[in-house]
Amino acid sequence: MSTLSEMLSSDFLLRNALIGSVVVGLVCPLVGVYFVLRRMIFLGVALPQLSAAGVACAFLLKSLVGVHQHGEAAERALALVGSLGFAFVGLLILAALERQGRETLEARIGIAYAFAAAASILFVSADPYGEAEMTHLIRGDIVTTTGANLRLLVGVLGVVALALLALRKELLLVSFDRDMAIVLGKRVALWDTLLYLLIGVTISFGVMTAGPLVTFGFLVVPPLTARLITRHMLTFSLVAAAFGAFTGFTGFYIAYRFDLPLGPTDVVLAIVLLALVATTRETTRIARARRHRH
Amino acid sequence: MTALVSLDGVSLGYGGRPILEHVSLVVERGEFAALLGPNGAGKTTLFRGILGLIPLLGGRIEYGFNRRATPPGYVPQKESLDPIFPLTGYEVVLMGAAARVPPLWPVGRHRRQLATECLVRVGLTEAAEQPFWALSGGQKQRVLIARALAVEPQLLLLDEPTAGVDPGAEAAIIDTIARLNRDEGLTVIIVSHHLRLVRAVVRSVIWVEAGEAVKGTAAEMLSTERLVDAFGVAGGRPS
Repeated sequence: MSTLSEMLSSDFLLRNALIGSVVVGLVCPLVGVYFVLRRMIFLGVALPQLSAAGVACAFLLKSLVGVHQHGEAAERALALVGSLGFAFVGLLILAALERQGRETLEARIGIAYAFAAAASILFVSADPYGEAEMTHLIRGDIVTTTGANLRLLVGVLGVVALALLALRKELLLVSFDRDMAIVLGKRVALWDTLLYLLIGVTISFGVMTAGPLVTFGFLVVPPLTARLITRHMLTFSLVAAAFGAFTGFTGFYIAYRFDLPLGPTDVVLAIVLLALVATTRETTRIARARRHRH
Repeated sequence: MTALVSLDGVSLGYGGRPILEHVSLVVERGEFAALLGPNGAGKTTLFRGILGLIPLLGGRIEYGFNRRATPPGYVPQKESLDPIFPLTGYEVVLMGAAARVPPLWPVGRHRRQLATECLVRVGLTEAAEQPFWALSGGQKQRVLIARALAVEPQLLLLDEPTAGVDPGAEAAIIDTIARLNRDEGLTVIIVSHHLRLVRAVVRSVIWVEAGEAVKGTAAEMLSTERLVDAFGVAGGRPS
């Protein structure tokens, strides 16, 4: 209890990290809902990996031009440019291949993931300072979140969340029935691009804040949990976001209380929550079926 | 009668390769037309061409209405929609009702009322709060018809609405469509394999075969000779 009080106090040392964790947990599932509904879950693995490769590429370019002594803000900005650049280019290439119908979705995503993973390793190995920087990134260096970084994160992800909620009827129609959307005169490619843009921004900020593993976990697991207990689109999104925020907060508590790494703690907690909800739902269904039989 | 859809020398196909060539026909306002023909003849290609889902390789299609202001009502095959989406029957219909609401604008009370009315028109008020994926095949199809009606179309296009539906529901669906055409004057184009049900209600048939499409009255186009030629049977449901 004292740990919880400490976390909730205004002078908590890791307050920025705690808020960042909750914000990433809140917004990633709002984007992840579309990954689940469009059956593109593995894109949730490939894109954070591409984003991480972008960070590694940016650090390598920095080393190659011989600049090592920049401020923390400049370093983050550089990493963000690399992350966003790789995520967007990856998304646009995947979208173009989808329009041309080249290979299956799984094949395209698999190739993107393999490329991203290999490129990350190559960029890091070519960069004398890369290993330390990438280790931070892969583990998720959320504890080092500064006030400025947090404000940027809250501002950008806040805009993403508002856009997803405000444009949900168009994004839903384009995702659910593409042909109907075309017949109704909707610019499907434009809506897809906007969705990809929101996905790219969320993933880049998620990876920069919490690392690719946590970002993937928050993108996919809370929507899968919410899918089990909701039957309306809006409640699906909101419950997924609530599960994500709860995981972000509780994961932080557990990691802080038991001195565990935050990223893996978040992911394991999200999966435990999924298992609990699935088990409760199945038990309730069996009990109901038995009651009907009697 | 005035022309609602006119095809003039239309060629359609995929990847630049034509499947149908030089199709010229007119669908009149208030008409109930069936798109029929053997499997693989190009019925779906013509249907998708009329909907604007595939680009024309040649010729032109003219609509006797403003397609942007009043888009056609489109009823896809229910199997083409993914059951993973957590949507109730009402929410599916609301997609049609919200079609003309600009982005960022909320769906107002009038549009919500329209969605409810469309469910009533297809006799499906009980499905409003049921999950769409949990409905029977016939109920799903009627929800999709309600969604098409919620667009407030002048032209309704249905892609095999009785496919995978039990016989009782098949008749109810065809009755619903026939009523919409008869009582409300809605122009209907329906793709179907179900000759027996369709021939009883349609006035005209667009027969698609061997890269061509020909239109005539139901009596002319569904003659015994033509059906035996196409399917080896004189009616019923071809394979």
